[in-house]
Amino acid sequence: MIKLSGIRKSFGRHEVLQGIDLTVNKGEVVAILGPSGSGKTTLLRCINYLEKPSDGEIRIGDFSLDVRHAGKKDIYALRQRSAMVFQQYNLFSHKTALENVIEGLIVVKKVGKEEARKRGIELLEKVGLGAKLDAYPSQLSGGQQQRVGIARALALEPEVILFDEPTSALDPELVGEVLAVIRRIAKEGITMIIVTHEMGFAQDVANHVVFMDGGVIVEEGDPAELFGNPKEERTKQFLKRFTSEYSYSI
Amino acid sequence: MEYGFDINYVFDFIPKLLSTLNITLLIVAGAIGLGLIIGFLVALPRLYNVPVLRNVSMVYVSFFRGTPILIQLFLFYYGLPEILKLVSVDISKVPVIYFVILTFGLNVAAYVSETIRAAVQAVNRGQVEAAYAVGMTGYQAFTRIVLPQAVAIAIPVFANLVIAMLKDTSLAFTLGVMEMTGKAQTLGSLSQHFIETYIALALIYLVMSIALERLMLAAERRLSRHLRRDSNEKNRFFTRKRKRLTLGRLTGELKLDNKEVPRYEA
Repeated sequence: MIKLSGIRKSFGRHEVLQGIDLTVNKGEVVAILGPSGSGKTTLLRCINYLEKPSDGEIRIGDFSLDVRHAGKKDIYALRQRSAMVFQQYNLFSHKTALENVIEGLIVVKKVGKEEARKRGIELLEKVGLGAKLDAYPSQLSGGQQQRVGIARALALEPEVILFDEPTSALDPELVGEVLAVIRRIAKEGITMIIVTHEMGFAQDVANHVVFMDGGVIVEEGDPAELFGNPKEERTKQFLKRFTSEYSYSI
Repeated sequence: MEYGFDINYVFDFIPKLLSTLNITLLIVAGAIGLGLIIGFLVALPRLYNVPVLRNVSMVYVSFFRGTPILIQLFLFYYGLPEILKLVSVDISKVPVIYFVILTFGLNVAAYVSETIRAAVQAVNRGQVEAAYAVGMTGYQAFTRIVLPQAVAIAIPVFANLVIAMLKDTSLAFTLGVMEMTGKAQTLGSLSQHFIETYIALALIYLVMSIALERLMLAAERRLSRHLRRDSNEKNRFFTRKRKRLTLGRLTGELKLDNKEVPRYEA
């Protein structure tokens, strides 16, 4: 279970997150929606401390961290409990696909090389890249790179995988293959928090949808409920633009 | 004795000059070794934005890049013993070559630190975040992710540095070090065949520079193989073929290669 309490974050005088409380149950897939600048990506980056929150408490599983007294060790411990998939993939460009996947296993989890390799190959096959083990990121398409990124996150067996707009940098033809992979692992019961602009996908895959704006959670709930019958005016306004996209599936 | 140009002197002088090659190489190796270590240390405060040390680094780099290396040699050779005398350390018996290596090393360090700084900053910041997200410590992220890529980026600049250093060793003779240029002076004076001596000398420097260039090029190819878009096998064939084509046109080839190494995306 992931529990965020009172997360605040300011950039200079601008308060990007104004006290966020969010609970994600084990095995749940949570989609965070919202306009640009609403703080959704910042929130995601606060969960694994890529962004240092100004205040609040983060709990992942049995590990809890109070932002006000977080030391380096706590931060490393927190990060080991999550994994992240980035908008720009951020693969290690001097390492092959397989090396990218097993890097964390070898360096952080101290898994033996042979075992890590075996696990890495398994995972790359799972995301459909069994034939690209030794390819460098520069030799892969965006969609393939992102699938390596997902395999890299899976390898760590984290309690939660954080997806930061995983398809925003892809051209439309490649979005499908990445979403298909995410959809498949969602079915395996891995806890996920996904920041996305793919409304249809969010509605389809998520168990819980959060709508953010202006640094606060405006509304959250069941996807059918939030998409079909939003309560807040701001949510209605935001979703209106996407109505045509999802109306067929209601 | 009447002077007449005689090519045989050139061939005659080459082995004689080569007998002092070890001194030249010692200076190069010592200076580069020292320069790498100090340069790395000088680069750190600026990479991590350490308040006071950052300014010390900047002054250091400005001094060594902004003054002629010959003046630096004189300053260290004549000045350092005087300063150390004030704290009762006598280094007047220390062989000249140590002063030369120290000065060149400090000089190289200034350039190395700038090279490292630029190269590290050229590595995509997102990869560092990915390393953190995987759970790596700052040290692990630096040594495993940033450094290998920074080294690959820095190699072409570093190659220039080493070659420049090789040629700058010729300044050591002004302090009386018997390296190749010093030896050439002596040979010239003795035989009065200055032109032949300097032709021989220039040839040796040229051959050594080319050898170094080749070596660095090989290192660059190996370290930046991940930036190639084509597959490894095809690439190996391509490299071999092109090597043959451009043998003897080294500078042209180097330019081609620089173009081949794309910068990381912002």
